[in-house]
Parts: sequence; C-alpha cells; structure tokens
Amino acid sequence: MTTTAETKRRKKWALKRPEKAIHTPDDTSQIVRRLLSYMAGGELRSKFTFAMVLRLIALMGETALPALIGLAINVFSVPGGSIAELNRLVILIVTAGLFYLGVSFVADRMWGDLATRASYNLQTHMYTHMQTLSLPFFDSQSRGELMSRLTNDSEVISLFYESAVTDIIRSMLQIVLTFLVIVFIDWRLTIVAILIVPVMLLVMNVANRISSPAFKKLQEDLSELSGFQEETFSGNKVIISNRRHKWTDERNVDLAVQAYDSGSKAFFTSLLQYPLTQALTYLQIVIVLMVGGFMVINGRIDLGTVIAFSMYVGLLAKPVASISNLISTALNGVAGARRVFNIIDEVPTVKDAPDATDYEFKGGHIQCTEVDFSYISGRKILRQNTFEVHPGDAIGICGPTGAGKSTLINILTRYYDIDSGTILIDGQDLTKLTQESLRKQVGVVLQEAFLFTDTVMNNLKYAREGATDEECIEAAKEANAHDFIMNLPQGYDTMLTERGASLSQGQRQMITIARAMIAQPKLLILDEATSNVDTRTEKLIQEGLKKLMAGKTSFSIAHRLATIRQSAKIMVLNGGEIVEYAPHDDLMAAKGFYYALYMSQFKGKAPNNAEVTDMGFIST
Amino acid sequence: MIKSMRRIFFIYKRYWGRLLLAQVLVLISAVTTISFASLNARLVNEGITMGNMEVILNTGMNMFLLALISGLCLAGAAYISVFFAQGTGYMIRTILYRKIQSFSFANYDRFPTSALMVRLNADVINVQNAMLYTTLLTLYAPFMLLVTFVLTMMDAPSLIWILVLMVAVLLTVLMLLVFQIFKAYDERQKRLDDLNNTMQENLAGMRVVKAFVREDYEVERFKKRADALRQPAYAAAFRVAFLTPAMTGIAQLAIALALVVGGSQILQGTGLDVGTLVAFSHYLTLAVAPLAMMAVMMPFLMRGNASAERILEVFDSEPLVQDRELAQALDPEEVQGRIAFENVSFAFRRPDGELAPPVLKNINLTIEPGQQVGILGATGAGKSALVNLIPRFYDVTEGRITLDGVDVRDIPQDNLRQIVGIALQEAVLFKGDVRFNLKFGKPAVEDDVMFEAARAADSYGFVMNLPERWEAPVSQRGYNFSGGQRQRLSINRTLTAKPKVLILDDSTSALDASTEGRVQVAIPAFTNNVTTLYIAQRISAVIDLDKIYLLENGEIIAEGNHEELLATNPLYQEIYESQLGKGVTAGLEVEEAA
Repeated sequence: MTTTAETKRRKKWALKRPEKAIHTPDDTSQIVRRLLSYMAGGELRSKFTFAMVLRLIALMGETALPALIGLAINVFSVPGGSIAELNRLVILIVTAGLFYLGVSFVADRMWGDLATRASYNLQTHMYTHMQTLSLPFFDSQSRGELMSRLTNDSEVISLFYESAVTDIIRSMLQIVLTFLVIVFIDWRLTIVAILIVPVMLLVMNVANRISSPAFKKLQEDLSELSGFQEETFSGNKVIISNRRHKWTDERNVDLAVQAYDSGSKAFFTSLLQYPLTQALTYLQIVIVLMVGGFMVINGRIDLGTVIAFSMYVGLLAKPVASISNLISTALNGVAGARRVFNIIDEVPTVKDAPDATDYEFKGGHIQCTEVDFSYISGRKILRQNTFEVHPGDAIGICGPTGAGKSTLINILTRYYDIDSGTILIDGQDLTKLTQESLRKQVGVVLQEAFLFTDTVMNNLKYAREGATDEECIEAAKEANAHDFIMNLPQGYDTMLTERGASLSQGQRQMITIARAMIAQPKLLILDEATSNVDTRTEKLIQEGLKKLMAGKTSFSIAHRLATIRQSAKIMVLNGGEIVEYAPHDDLMAAKGFYYALYMSQFKGKAPNNAEVTDMGFIST
Repeated sequence: MIKSMRRIFFIYKRYWGRLLLAQVLVLISAVTTISFASLNARLVNEGITMGNMEVILNTGMNMFLLALISGLCLAGAAYISVFFAQGTGYMIRTILYRKIQSFSFANYDRFPTSALMVRLNADVINVQNAMLYTTLLTLYAPFMLLVTFVLTMMDAPSLIWILVLMVAVLLTVLMLLVFQIFKAYDERQKRLDDLNNTMQENLAGMRVVKAFVREDYEVERFKKRADALRQPAYAAAFRVAFLTPAMTGIAQLAIALALVVGGSQILQGTGLDVGTLVAFSHYLTLAVAPLAMMAVMMPFLMRGNASAERILEVFDSEPLVQDRELAQALDPEEVQGRIAFENVSFAFRRPDGELAPPVLKNINLTIEPGQQVGILGATGAGKSALVNLIPRFYDVTEGRITLDGVDVRDIPQDNLRQIVGIALQEAVLFKGDVRFNLKFGKPAVEDDVMFEAARAADSYGFVMNLPERWEAPVSQRGYNFSGGQRQRLSINRTLTAKPKVLILDDSTSALDASTEGRVQVAIPAFTNNVTTLYIAQRISAVIDLDKIYLLENGEIIAEGNHEELLATNPLYQEIYESQLGKGVTAGLEVEEAA
C-alpha cells in the first residue's frame, strides 16, 4: 500500500534522483563473475569443485552406455557370438547405468545445495546492506515498485543459480564428452553425426529470439491487465456510483485481448521447440543410419557402432537444443542481479563523521542557527531558521500543508542532513554525533501508527533490546493501552495481522505510545494523528502522550490546533520559514498568522464572532 | 475428481471440432513416431544386415518423412492447445470480470480486492496450464503406450514384460518425485511469501526500525526466514534436476535387460532378429517422454481444479442489490430532492448469510429539497452506512427510504445514481488524465461545467499550475496527487456530473480548515442549492449548516443547528471542546485585557 505520506515524500524527490544510470551491457561477464562468487567463493569453493568433478564422473557413466550397448549388439548381430560375452557386456551396462544414477543423485543434491546457498547468501547480503542505507534512499522511490522489483529480481536470480548455472555446466560437459567419445570410436561418422549441431543452434536461437521477448511482452500485458483490474476493484464504489461499467468492461476486454495475443505467441513459440528438436534429432538419426548403413555394407564399421551412434545423436542433441534457453535464463538473472548489485553498491547518504562521538544528554537544550534544507537542490523547503528550545519545553508545530513541518522533524532526528547552518543539541553539533547514540535518546511517535506482524508484547519489546514483560505492561498501563490489550483474544500474546489491521487506529496509536515509553527516550518527537479517532479515545491518547512528554524537551506536529494549545511555545511555519514562535495566548493576542489559522476552524461561528483576515497561507 | 475443471469446459461448446482435431493430430504424431522406430528395424534387418543399399535409402527417406509428419502434427496440436489455454484465460478474464462488475457493495465486502485478484491472476494461470496439458497430453501418453504395446505384441511378444516392468517402475518413481517436487514448491511459495512480507514490512516500517536502532534485529529476522526458505527450495531444486537422470537411467537399465534377454534369444535362434530388438529398445526410450509428461501433468491438473473451484465460487455469486421488475425511472430534471428515512434499520450480512448486529437503528429523518445537512459522528457510528443506503449501495434491512416520496428500491439503480451523486471517503482516481477522471460520471459534459465545478471544489488552481493542466497524467489510484488534492478532485468529479442530491462522505477530511471552508461556501453556489448531505467527524466541517444530525452507535441522538446543539447537547459540547479547545476565549481575554 502506498500511503499519502509516502507519495508526499516521493514527490519531493522526483527530480533529484532520476533512475540510476543503467550500466552498459558489456558488464555482463563482470556481473556473472560476481554472481558466481556467491556460489563458488570462499568456503564454498571446494564444494563447488567437488560437485563439478562428480557431475563429470556421472556423465562419463552416461556417455559410456551407447558404446557398451553397441558392443552388446555386435555380439548377437554377427554369427558366432557367445552368451557369456553378452552377459559380461550387460553387466558392464548395468554397472554404468547404476553408477550414472547414483552419482547423479549425489551430484544433484550438491548442486541444489550450492544453488540455494548462493541465493541465500546474495539475498541476506543485499538485505543486510539495505539496513545501513539512509532514509533518502527509501523515500526517493515507490515502496511498491522497489518491493516488486526485489521480489522479481530474487526470483530470476534463484533461477540463474538453480537452473542456468547447473544446466549449462551439465550441458557443456555432456557435449564435450559425447564428442570426444564418438571421435574416438569413428571420426568419419562423427562428421556426419554433428551436422545437426549448427542447424539446431540456429533454429533454437531464432525460436528463442521470438519467444523470449514475447514472454516479456506477456508479462507486461498481464501486469497492465491486473493493474487495471485491481484499480477498478479497489475503486469499485466510484465505478458503481458513476455507472461506468460499460467503460470498465470494454477496457478490460481490450487488455485481455492484448494478453491473449501475446500469450498465444509466447506459448506457441516456446512449445514449438519440442517438435522442432524432435524432428531435427530424428532427421539426424536417419542420416547417421543411412550413412552408417552404407559404411557397414562396405565393411568399414560394424552394426553395433551405427546403433551406438544413433543413440549418441540423441545424447548430443538434447544439451545443444537447451543451450539457447539456458542462456536466456542466465541473462534474465544477470539483469536482475545488476539491479541488486546497484543496491549493494549504494552508499548511505547520512554517515557518521570519522571523529563522531556519542551524544551526551544534558537536559535537552536545542539551538538551531540559520538552518537551510532542500530535498531537491535549489528548492529550499526550510530557509534561514533560527530558534532555541529550552530544556524540558514542549514545542507545538503548526502551519498549512507543505509548510515544512515534517521536514523539520526529519532534520532534527538527522534522517536527512541539512544544507547549511548548525544544530546544537546540549551544545553538541548534531553532525558530529553518532546516529545510533542520538536515536537511542530521541523517541518518535509517528503519524502512521506502524506495528509489526507479531504479538503485542513483541511489538512493545521492539523498542529496546532486553525490555522485560513487566516494563512493557507498566508502559501499556501508562499509555492507557493495557485495558484493551487485556480484552484481546490472547491478551499480550495476540498476533497483530499485517500492519496491525485488527486494531482501531486509536488503539494502534496507544501501542506506539507505550512502545516509545519503553525506549526511555530523553527527547521526543510526535507527529500526532488523531483525525480518525473518536473523542473519547483521543482523550485517552492525549493522556498517554502527556505522561510520555512530562519533563522532556518535545516537538509535536499538530493537525488539530487544540492539541498544542498547552505547549510552552508554538512554532508557526509558512512556506519553510518560522513566522511566529510564542505561547498560544501571546499568538492569539497578536492576531497574526496563528490567530487566522485558529479562527478559520469556526467559519465565523467563533464565540466572539472574531473576524478572520486572509493571511496568505502557502499551502500545496 | 476435477469436477470444477470440467465445469470450466462449458466455454468450449463452440470449439469441440478443434478439440477433436488436436486429438487426431496427437494420435497421428504418436503413430508416426512409433512407426519411425519400427522402420528403424526394417532398415537394420533388410537393409544393413542384408546389405541392400536400396532398402536403406528408401526406408531412410520414409523415416525422414515420418519424422517430418510427426513434428508437424505435434506443432499443430501445440497450436490448438495454446489456443485453448489462452482462450480459457481470455474467457475467464472477461466473463468473470463482467460478473464482478455486476456486484453490489455487499458482494465486495465478501470478496475483498486481494481475493478477487488471486482468482483473476494466479487461478487463471493455473487453469490455463491445466487446460494446456490436458488438451495436449491426455491422449498422447496413452496413445504412445498403446501403439508401442501393440507393435511389441506383434513383433516380439516375448519381450513385452520388460516394457510393462519399465512403465511400472518409471511411473512409480516419477509420480513420487513429481509429487514431492510440487509439495516442496508449495512450501517454498509459502516461505517465500513470508520472506517477502518480512521485507515489505521492513521497508514500510523503516522509520520505526531506525528510530529504535533495531537494524541488527531486522537482519536476524530476515536471515531466519531466508534460511527457512532454503530447505524447500533445495528439496525442489535437486529433485527437478534428478528427474532427467532418473528417466534416462531407468530406460537404459531396461535396454540392458532387453539386450540380455533378447540377445540370448537371438543367439539361441528363437526367431527374434537383431532389427526387432533394436527397434524394441528404441520403443523403450520412446515410452519415457510421454510418461514423464503424464507425471508432470497430474499435479497441474489438480492445481487447476482447485483454482477452477475458487473461480466458480465468485462466478456463482449473485449481485445482492437488483432492480425490481416494476422499477420506474424518474426524470432527473423533475427531481426535487426530498429525502426521507422512515424507521430505517440496517445490518451487514456476515459471510454465512446471517445478519450482523444492526449498525443503524430506527432512523427517522426528512431532508427538505435544497437543505444543507450535516451528519456528525465518530468512526463506527454508522454515518457512511446511512448515506450508502440512499443510492442503494446497500438495501435497508427494515423500513424504507424515499426520494420525492418514491421508495428508492422502486427506482432503477442506474437512474437513481444519476440523481444521487456521492463523493466518497476514500478519494480514488483512475489511471488516465485529469479530464478523464473529472468527467468520469458524465463523459459527455462540456469543459465549462468541469471548470466551474473545479472552481467550486478548489481544484482549479492547482490543476492550472500543472504543466499539462487538464491533460495531466493521473497514475494508478491517483497516487501522484496528495491526499488533499485527490479529495478535491473527487469532489470535483462528483460536482461535474451535476447530481440532484449531493452527498459528501467525509470527503474533506484531508483539507485544512480554511480550504474546507472555501469549498463549502462554493458548493451551494455551483449546485444551485441542491439537497446536500455532509458526513463529518470534525465539527468545523458542519458548523455552519442548516441542520446537524448527531449520530452515535447507529442512532440519531440529537438534531439541530450548531447553536442549538451547543446549547443543549452534552455530547456535542464534549466534541466541540475536544476539537476546538475549551475556552477559545482564553487568548481573546488576554487581548481584551490588553
């Protein structure tokens, strides 16, 4: 789900970070090497080598079979063969067959293990690195798109390991082995037997050139179709109330036709590969039999050799036919890996200074001097803001939409670095502090009451490693959350469904307040959201917040002015500048910006019928 | 078995001819493939062994022809099965979608978007696969086995037990492997979903992660899930890889058996000849591929059946709100806009068809033509349910609602919704451009009406500031606009259709008070005072309306204008104080004192 807050963040970034420059295609071999390092690098190297050797041995067993069968046929195809000789050869055949089966089993297990390990290694590497990245990285792209890209990429990468690498190695070894064996048996017939190879490669390549983009097109068409369907289902109320079923139906049919066309093309060209391979293989067998037959009649070779050759044709054709598909699977994996490596190579934008020290709390005194900030260079969101907050003061922040309220919070927590100016916390420069020490002291309650899919208790414990059950319950009581938690089916052990959907907005907010208490922060930042909460719940939330804020320096963004009236000082933002900064009563008396904002809520029905003048709000 | 799949087949009534053709092609391909192998015997026996070049040449040419025919027939059969598979997809996607489009709100409550999307995506693909494999393979494998069987019976009956044995062993091994693979795949998919959810949550909660400095914990959690995924992924991967050696290995062992048994027979001179034995060993290899396909087909078919069942479940649902037979359309131009609720109660239906506890109880109210009315209440009070009954998004459980004295259930839905316009709580826009979205309710309307409506909804200014203005692109669900902009465009859209009764269902909640005020002043001027209902949680949204109904727990507990309610109703006073602040006068007293 994309949230409004996310859209807002993204829009700010839309211009600053265009799509990362795409690597030139000639980095393919480099990416393949990098991909293979997760499968064959470090401690996996010896295992990889061993798996390769096992595969070779297994294939040797398979390649020996047609030759042995040919010898067996020779025993009874010429007069005077002995049963003992036949039995001896059959025992050899059975041995080679069982050997092939057994060694293949072990080799396939090893390759399966290597492939899944490689996927695991790459996935966890990427994820671990992603956790170190700063918020600008996440805010600058749509979460949904990033997510679907990562899901898709890890799928094609796992195919790269599980199918492409394993099968390309197998096919290559098989081609080489078969070729060596038939050259050894009879080089003249070999020339006849490999005629098919270039034809097969060409035909499969052409088929693949058609089907591979066709599948890509099918994917696009299907995602367009399901995108449309999903949009119309989630917007079904709008469609019903506007009576637009005819339009949606027509559009759906158009998109379904498109998917039908590309699906037919993709599946047909891909299915065609089977009869094509079969026909070409049979053709080659016929040629070998005919030429071989003439050679037998001329007495150059024996019948068994010809039969063995016709079997080798099958052994050779299969890997040759599959190479083209495997390469396209591998290239898909490379394309996915290129994006994943881009993330792994991304450097955090907010970094601890080399000489960074831990933040030392001394009451919570904050001084900002001439602070400028922009998401997109040249478009200042905050300009020349200078203010001071005394230890223990509660500061309310208000202003029209887009005035820079959330941005101010982003820079005070150092999720973003400022362009110029200085921020001192208890006399220490914000940019010279370690992020970890700072964030451990600053508590945040966000507008979007985010909870994890986990039990209530684990969500509370998330705040601090080592928090005890008792501490959590105590905090829940303080935040007025204890009572409704006890009423949940399993109390504190109740699982919260995805994003805490089984709780009301207000209840979720109370849990996040309790969670913030457990972290025992020294400073607080609150982006309060009580717009969807009824009056009574709001009172409970406000009580909890009051306890949380007691005696601490705090900043609260107000969406409803009544909630910050009691603040020590109210900071009024307009167009990125602090236009007013004083207690409520002073601001009301001044009849300025805040006063106008406040009175607009009454639409002329204020108790004293005060007039409201348009103060030139800059809202977006 | 596969009951649901068979029901899906109704789609093909018109195409049975093609289905038959596909089967004939498959049969020909099977026969030619086997004949190829049997000509192989002739080439060896009468050609090579006898030293007859002419036979070799002729037989070789015939074999070549057979290979070609077999390939062509298979290609033809593939073409038809693709037609059936894709056709199935197309039919389900359009017919099912049409069905869903006929649904009422209550049907959507039963099938949320995600459930519908599963049916139209994954389930369609499962049915498609099942269809592809059934048309192509249902008869292919049995044909191949049958023909092989018959030929062996004719030429080398003494070896037939080897064929039977091999088929039995292969089928057992393949079935076992394939079912384990599918089981592992299902498990893998489940764990992959888990892993993806973990990642999704991590991305969504990144601010929380960073605020509590819990990156290490997140990495541990991810590693645990990634490791859990590795097990079934490995189980599936190695078995898939082992399928090929298993098939070839078993076939080769069967050939060894044939050689030792048949070879001894030849040497003992029992009448079996070399060519027949070679052909027989060829049959053995030929039987492997169709068996493998059959083994792979079974789970696909079962999966397809489960999906077909889910698809039919939606298909068998009927829209819960339907036009009455005697419904009479009203002339929208003549409508006055008097709305009356007479003893209305309403309860949602649970999935099992039982009524849930009522959300609206004994509602009686009359809204006069042209009146501006507010309905105030907390989340869950029943505000949206109340207005949803007017355009018949749901039908009342008891009592009735009239529009100009006519029961709304006696008006055709299409006509009713043309008269009653509603801007919904969730402001959803569609992919397209701004103009398309604004004219969504009335595509033929003139631009001027849209511009006027835009001025009234306060969207004119920001749209004109966009580079493409009214042609500006709108992304899916309108996410390239802010919440406040979407709400204003949504109001704009409703106004553009010029309804005779206007409902604004909490549709200004994301606007700041001053913008909201501007919109509320402009709307009556634009609509020329049609009956208007405002649903809100904030007092500031209803403060200056003709009448405010205070709704709590599904009942109207007070009505009157702002001053009346403030003077008489304790709950209203409580809300007022909480939202606008006790004693706004506090600051003003300071001013007076000064």
